[in-house]
Amino acid sequence: MAGTTNGGGVTEPDPPLRSRGRWPPPGGPRVAIVGSRRPSPYGEAVAEQLAMELALAGVVVFSGLALGIDSAAHRGALNAGGVTVAVMGTGVDIVYPAANSRLADDIIAAGGALISQFPDGTMPRRHHFPARNYTMAALSDVVVVVEASEGSGALITAEAALDLHKEVMAVPGSIFSPLSVGTHALIRDGAGLIQNARDVLAALDITREVLDDPLRAPDGLGFALPRERDGILSHLSDVLALSAAEVARKLQLPIPEVLSRLTALELNGAVRRHEGGYVRALRRGKQRA
Amino acid sequence: MLGSVDSCLLVGLETRRVEVQAHIGRGGDAGFFLVGLAATSVKEARERVRSAIKNSGLEYPRTRLAVNLAPAELRKEGSGLDLPIAVAIALARYGKLPPARSAFIGELSLDGGVRHVDGVLVAVRGLRDLGYERVFVPAEDAAEAALVDGVEVIPCISLIRVVAHLIGEVPIAAASPTRPQTLLEPGSFEHDLAEVHGQEEGKRALEVAAAGGHHLLFSGPPGSGKTMLARCLPGILPPLELDEALEVAQVRSVLGELERERPLDWTRPFRAPHHGVSMAGLIGGGSGLAQPGEISRAHHGVLFLDELAEFQTPVLQALRQPLETGRVRITRSAGSVVYPARFTLVAATNPCPCGWAGDGVRTCRCTPAAVNTYQRRLSGPLLDRIDLQVAVRRLKLETLAGEPHGEASASVRERVVAARGRQMDRQGGLNAQLRPARLRQVAGLAPASRHTLERWAEQRGLTARGFHRAWRVARTVADLEGSDQIQDHHVLEALGFRLSEAAA
Repeated sequence: MAGTTNGGGVTEPDPPLRSRGRWPPPGGPRVAIVGSRRPSPYGEAVAEQLAMELALAGVVVFSGLALGIDSAAHRGALNAGGVTVAVMGTGVDIVYPAANSRLADDIIAAGGALISQFPDGTMPRRHHFPARNYTMAALSDVVVVVEASEGSGALITAEAALDLHKEVMAVPGSIFSPLSVGTHALIRDGAGLIQNARDVLAALDITREVLDDPLRAPDGLGFALPRERDGILSHLSDVLALSAAEVARKLQLPIPEVLSRLTALELNGAVRRHEGGYVRALRRGKQRA
Repeated sequence: MLGSVDSCLLVGLETRRVEVQAHIGRGGDAGFFLVGLAATSVKEARERVRSAIKNSGLEYPRTRLAVNLAPAELRKEGSGLDLPIAVAIALARYGKLPPARSAFIGELSLDGGVRHVDGVLVAVRGLRDLGYERVFVPAEDAAEAALVDGVEVIPCISLIRVVAHLIGEVPIAAASPTRPQTLLEPGSFEHDLAEVHGQEEGKRALEVAAAGGHHLLFSGPPGSGKTMLARCLPGILPPLELDEALEVAQVRSVLGELERERPLDWTRPFRAPHHGVSMAGLIGGGSGLAQPGEISRAHHGVLFLDELAEFQTPVLQALRQPLETGRVRITRSAGSVVYPARFTLVAATNPCPCGWAGDGVRTCRCTPAAVNTYQRRLSGPLLDRIDLQVAVRRLKLETLAGEPHGEASASVRERVVAARGRQMDRQGGLNAQLRPARLRQVAGLAPASRHTLERWAEQRGLTARGFHRAWRVARTVADLEGSDQIQDHHVLEALGFRLSEAAA
């Protein structure tokens, strides 16, 4: 792809970009966070947490305004008071999916932008999204993939990043989850392994001073398990949903008891419903205290 | 010469008295005039009656013959008036009065035999309530008619035998009352919970649904056993009571689907209409007077709707009234009828259009938007009336290969019967039918459980309807445990019976 290069090594694509909000964004490293539109609760928590910590370190978070990982990434950046940019596959005047209109407004209100290579009024078309993914890779310094099953659009973004000689990094997941197939393949092929935001910041060559200040906390993984005493918790996964029946069978407990204990945990925010079953709810490390 | 006998017509499950008058003129041209708003099927009676009288060896009047069906404003349909018309003519001929407080129902064949008509059970019950003491019915339908107590049933084989009886020549013995068979032996159901692998959540939901009369929704991928679970529900419900069994039999009688040998069946009906079913098929309908639909065939039993999202929306919408009131009113050209329709709804659905969302092995290929649209089709007024929602997941193969070791339906049924008994003693009805005001009266919450329910409602933005739904289910869970108070864990379990993170 022909393009012009600005000082930061970020390539601007040929067609002029349309934008809503503040574009270009304030200077600073740019990280794209992409992944499945239907992530596990684990993936969603990781995307939100990473985006938040990166935004705190002054990174501009790019993503695609889709459901799932994209939304979580935008939201995480906004939660940190950071700037985030949505690279859209539609015209900038058409928010797709419509469920994210509120998020789109928040992005603009927080000093970020919606941008698109497509003219105003362009409706969502299947073949527009790979082109959009390429644009996103072109505009970013690092592409981070959080949960991508085989054939996921996030992998197209990663491939584009490799073509453009951008750094690609991926977050590992459970080997039992189909959502890890894509990310693990990337890691096997040489993508950087992400265990916390510092891994990304290191890849961006951000100096220690920057790194130390906003990110004092992440000594461990940046996540904490919920502090509930119920033994059921240790039998639940963060990624794969277990049904109450499966829990009951594992623990040899009567189903009514398991159902009521799981609901009690849900009420306390320690477990979540996911795909017809239950998963452990991850809490951000920062909320531990 | 005038002859007159009584008969009846069915309007839905209601019995309307009809008086059949025959007048044989002294002269005039021979002719058979039938008056009194007779539909085509009744006008055809002339041909059958004429042949039947002649072939029975009775004298057919050579003068003008007029038959009047009163009241004139009631539209007459069906072949059940054949016998009373022929009897009225014969009585006019012999100048006899009919026996007091007697009524006649039956179709005639050309040779003078008396043939089966639909709805005899309903007709005889109705006639008894109208004050009749003796009913002449086709011999084939005598067992059905003799289920009704307090009325003498005279089985009719042929017109000539009936006439011989009426003029006092050869009396016909009354049919002996049909004794309801003894209760079904436990374990004689086709589907037993003991044969279902795993799915403890689904089984528990069935138990709660059976105990409180709650409607139920299963969501899960193809082959996860939703249908199997649903078919187990009749087996854990208590057998029908006598008057319930009679109501079930009445619907079948109107449809002509009653088994001759065994008119009363104690098993709860299980109906599973295909998702292509029409409005008339599900709710009831047809030309003229409406016939009962699947929901009335499922009366006092289970209506299973598989692939709920595939049903036409207007068809599902039409379920709202019966779900609310336990009966359905259908209006057609010939009038408006009411049929009973108090059933337990068991619905099943895939979680998404391809069916594999949330499956452990196969991946779902649907876009999030498609899943959204699909699930939205299910939401709304119908789902609002379903108290219990359960996700059913496919089992791992190793679980399927082992012997199932679940509890048998018979022992679950014992708990269900006990829980229903508690509800009947306390409030005279099932928990699912408790309206909010009654719920507050009879289903007090312990402080801790009230706190839990309110905390949940606040956290999830529960609607008032959802709040009461969880409350009712909690009452049933407490009843299953034999507890007077709704405890915290009852509420928590009740809140677990929903599909998603959403408030429900």
